[in-house]
This record gives sequence, C-alpha cells and structure tokens, in this order.
Amino acid sequence: MNRREFLAYGALGGGASVILGAAEAQTATRTYELFIEPADVEMIDGTIVYMLLFFGGPPGVREPRPVLRAVEGETVVLRIVNNAPEAHRFQVPGVTGATTTNIAPGQRREIRFTAPVGGTYIYLDPLQAPLYRLVGLHGAFIVTPRNGLTLAGSPTPYSATSQTAAVRAVFDAMGTMPRFAGDKWNPNDIARDKVWVFSQTDPALNKRVELRQSVDLATLAANFKPRYFTINGRSGFDLDEDPTVRISGYVGQPTLIRTINTGLATHAPHIHGNHCFELAGNTTAGAVSVRSNVYERDVWMLAPLDRKDLLLPFEIPPDIPREAWPPVQEPWPLRYVMHCHTEMSQTAGGGNYPQGALCHWELLGPQRPVA
Amino acid sequence: MTDFPLAGTRFDATAPLNFDSFGCNTYKVDSLPTPDRLEPDVRFVRGVRFGLELPTPDGKTIEVWRFEDELAPRPVWPSPPIRVRQGQLVHTQIYARNNAHTIHHHGIEPTTFNDGVGHVSFEVSDTYDYQWRPHTPGTFFYHCHKNTVLHFEMGMYGLLIVDPPSGPGTIYEGGPSYQVEAMWVADDLDPRWRTLGHSAGMCGEDVGLNRFDPKYFCISGVFAPNTLNDPRVMVRAQRGQTVLIRLLNASYSILRTTLPMDAQVVALDGHYLGGPEKPWCAPYTIRANTPFEMVSAQRMDLLIRPRLPGVFTAKLEFLDWVTRAIQNGGQGVAQTQIVVT
Repeated sequence: MNRREFLAYGALGGGASVILGAAEAQTATRTYELFIEPADVEMIDGTIVYMLLFFGGPPGVREPRPVLRAVEGETVVLRIVNNAPEAHRFQVPGVTGATTTNIAPGQRREIRFTAPVGGTYIYLDPLQAPLYRLVGLHGAFIVTPRNGLTLAGSPTPYSATSQTAAVRAVFDAMGTMPRFAGDKWNPNDIARDKVWVFSQTDPALNKRVELRQSVDLATLAANFKPRYFTINGRSGFDLDEDPTVRISGYVGQPTLIRTINTGLATHAPHIHGNHCFELAGNTTAGAVSVRSNVYERDVWMLAPLDRKDLLLPFEIPPDIPREAWPPVQEPWPLRYVMHCHTEMSQTAGGGNYPQGALCHWELLGPQRPVA
Repeated sequence: MTDFPLAGTRFDATAPLNFDSFGCNTYKVDSLPTPDRLEPDVRFVRGVRFGLELPTPDGKTIEVWRFEDELAPRPVWPSPPIRVRQGQLVHTQIYARNNAHTIHHHGIEPTTFNDGVGHVSFEVSDTYDYQWRPHTPGTFFYHCHKNTVLHFEMGMYGLLIVDPPSGPGTIYEGGPSYQVEAMWVADDLDPRWRTLGHSAGMCGEDVGLNRFDPKYFCISGVFAPNTLNDPRVMVRAQRGQTVLIRLLNASYSILRTTLPMDAQVVALDGHYLGGPEKPWCAPYTIRANTPFEMVSAQRMDLLIRPRLPGVFTAKLEFLDWVTRAIQNGGQGVAQTQIVVT
C-alpha cells in the first residue's frame, strides 16, 4: 500500500511537460493516468520532507506533478489511482465535470470531461482544503485553444472567442512593431511556453499528515510557517540549469510564462531584463479571465490559487544604451533573474539566500541564427 | 570576446558553478571596469552605510542600513532618490564600504553586469560604475541585491524617478500633466531582523529569515502614526490642481491602500499606460474609498484631481502575506492626509 518514493530533485531530470504533436492535436480523446502517492522529497538544503504527490502523465509515463495538456473541446480521460494511506479527491477548479468524490486508499477512479476554453488551470486535491494541496497534491493543466489566431493571424494561447482587443494587440505587435522585431509567439515550440508552479512547504505541517495527526483547518493559515519556496517542486541552485523552468532564447523570441500559486502565501514574482505583459488571470470561480487592459509589469501579484499568464517579449533589454548594443566586452549570454520580491520566499530552511523561489531567463544573442 | 578582465565574475572561465557559488560564496570583485563603457551624461555616487538609529514612536530606536549620496553626504533614510531624465546616459557608482554589496536599479533593464545581481555576475567589495540609459519615464527604485531578503528589509533602497526629456510635470512627453508631486514609499520593519549580521543565513544557518513580523510601519521614512500630520508625507494641493502620487510598496506585506478621492492610474511599474505606441493598455480609474492592493516592489502612479476643499485621509494597511491579517495585531496601518484649499 505505502509506495513511498524518494525524490532527490537535484539529481532528477523529471518535471518535463508532455508535448503535443500537431497530428495528436486532432484526436478527440486524451488519456492521462495519475497516481496519488507519498514521497520523501529532498529540499535544496538536504532536508527530507514527506509529501503527497501526483505522479503520472500519458499511460506509461511517471513524472511527479505532470503538466497535463489538452486541446479545447477534447474529451479528457483521467484514470486516478490513490496509493496514499488516506482518501483523496481530484479537481480542476472552474472546469465542469473535472472533479471526483472521495477516492479511498487503494481505489481507482476514471473521470471524463471536456477540455474548457484555452488557458491555464490548476489541478489539485480539494479535500480538507487547503491541506492536501499544500502537502503536494497539485499540478498544472494547460488547454490549447482550437483556434488561437488573432484576426491578423498572430498565434495566441487564447481562443478567438475569448480574446480581447488588448491581448490581440500584444500578439499582433510581436514581430511587427520595431520594439518587438523578431518572431511572433510560437505556440508549437515548448521552449516558448513555460509553466511555473509556485508553492511553499512547511515541514511541520507535512509531518502531521505523515503521522496521520489531525490538522485544524481553522488555524492552519495562522500556523503555516513555510520554510521552502519552490517552482515546479525545486528551488534556488536546483533551478539554475533546469530546462523546464529556465528560459533561453534570442532577442525576438517572445515566451509565454504561465505562473500558478498552489500555496498559501501571496507571491510577488519580479523579473529582471524585460517587463512582461500580464495577459490573463482567473476569476474566483476558476474561469480564465483574458485581460481587456494589458499592463507591462515587472512585478505581478500571485495570490493563492492565482493563475497568471505573462508574455516575456524577449525585446532588447531597453535600458542598455543603444551605442553599446550588442555588447562587445560583456560576455553572452545575458542572464536575468526572476525572483519573488516578498523576499522571505528567497530563503530555504530559514536562510540560504537565494535558494528559494528564484529562476532565470537568458538572452543567447541579439537575433536568432538563420537555420 | 575581448581580453576584458572577468576574474572573479561568474564569467571567469575558472569560476565554479555550484551550490556554494550560487549563494554562500558567490562571485565577488573588488572593482571592475564597466564593460562597453560610454561617457555618462550624469553620475551618482552611493556608499553603503550601516548603523543609522532612527527614533520610533514608542520611544525606542531601530537601525536602518542605507546608501549615502557621497557627493552630498547626509544621514537620511530612505536613501536619496536618483532622479534622471529619459534618454540620459547614467552611471551609478557604488562604494561598498562594508563587505560586499550591489545596486540593482529595479525596473531598469540594462545588461547583466549592470543589473547588480551577484550570482549571475558579481558582488562589489570596493567600487563599480553601473551603466544604464532609461528609455521610458516612470517610477522605479534602487536597492542592494546581496542577501536581498535582509539588505532590502534593512532599508538599503531609494526611489529612482525618470522624468521625460522636458523634465518633471508630465507623466511622459505629451502625456498627462501634474502640478503637485507626492512620493509615498511604504515600508515595514521587524526589530528581530536587526540582530542579524549582513551575511546572516547565507552559508546555511537557520536565522529565521522565512519569518517576518514587522512592528513598525512607515511612509517615506516617517513612522506611523506620525505619517498622519508629517509634512514629508502629507499632500497639499489647491482645487483644480492635479496631484501625482508615486506609490511604492517597499514592504514585505501586501499593501492595501484606500484613497479618499478618485484616482486615475497612469503608470504601473514605471511603464505609463496608453499612448500611441501601446494599443494594449489605457489609464483607468480607482473610485474613492475603494481599496486596492500591491505586492512588494510594485509601483503605481496615481493622478488625483481634488474638486472640493477639505482634509481627506488616505489609509495604507500592511497585510501578512499568508494570513492577510493586518500586521502586528491590527496595528500595521499608516494614514496620511490630503489637504485641499
């Protein structure tokens, strides 16, 4: 029953998302298997923390917290197996039919639902909210629009029916306005579509769950003292070379960043090097909310259960003097951090700055080499 | 690549890239020439100073760290603003004075060497000239980016204002104008963090930097409740004038602001809203007495146009990042007044 798994994230190449091929996108049904299981997870400072995680992916794949992807309108089939010692549930907040009742230990459940309108969603265990979500039972569900083109033909991550004039203007500007010389956003290049799931871990809370002690949900927030702050389950140096989190590209390769907060603390993601366009968020009911006024931000608020999509334009960092562009003496790549500015999140185990919720994007050169 | 000296930086071919060089023992130089250096139009000199004890309203004192303007030294906190015009080539020279530090010009987007983040470039033990040229007018700030969790909280920051080429008075060239300017920088201070050394926690010690329990709340260096009547914070305007409030959340709280009159948001994070080059955004209005929230490091530029004389109170509430309760048992509030004649 208790299939405890040890995850040393620093040494593991997991977390890769499942890539949609063009042909596959034509299929009407998409099947995933998810296994709810305990795991002993090594934090950046070597501390081992008990977690409950979703493992899985397409049949036969076994990744922790897999990114699930579907195309709008497809039938999504989820086969969920609970290998944890207590009951759990599954839910995609805001999506009709994407929910289960209690799944008892050792039981399996299959659900089917229609992939909703294009955008970024969370899947989680809603039981005893927010307890099991905080202990690790969460992940990202990404829906690709069936038709994401603007009227001018620019690809976007949003269905034509939910696009706003403001969001169309942003994607139409890419590769068109001199400021954004280069490519349009490329929806078929997984390197241009990143998912950053922020979370926080208080080992004392996880320990209570491991020991199957009761947790008072009324005082959970007041007692929640997170010591680890992660993006896609990792933090600090472990994210430095992580290709699923780090963004690499040339000037003119705009990149979508889907940011999600599954924790209980409000984050303040701050990106260096370029301001980002805040494209979409979510309503309290869980629906995708495409912005009708798109702000250029260097910090965005990411409250618990928020999903916010940002477009990193990959423009020339605009405050480099043009006489000094491209740099000659300064080496490439130009490397910029993204970190949460509520800086308690930059710690691990009470110190160890900057081994918290921090990662990087890098500019490889002034323009994409011609193939 | 040239023979530019990279020793000590992350780009030193012999430099290790590992857990230690990422945090505890990161890249440091005493001094380094600025790569791709140009002659500046304007320069600022900022030296690190520790040990400024500020009196608190409860009769105690609390220490802040800061950057001093070494061309006009004065023991002020927050650090003196850097104010420049769009398009000027700027050099900001740091003197670390006390161990290693950096200056990051927040929201300004220069090259990596000039961005002031140690683990992707270098920290500075002596001096370095950060080179940048602001391309857009707006409200920014600068701060130390070493052990940032602590150094920023200890007060190592100041405002950075970029005016349009024609100078103060408009949001951008040809944009909305203002006659009165206010700068509100919200901050919160935790006395426990004052017991920590500048490198606290960096090499693995648990010094509790994940826990933040502020006891003092400031606007622009003035402690609440004195903010209510302090002329450094209060706004005085005449009917018919337009007031620009540059609001920065330099705290680690969620800042919930309630203004007593309608405010037009004309810029966010140093980028103005609207204008012919930005068809994706436009200014918007926040109605009077409607609270709005900002997380750490966000900026809002707000225009208010008082129509009636009177004394109006603005309220800034500091909320815990997990519980969203008002900090310090409900005491985390700073108020000030807008006096219209």
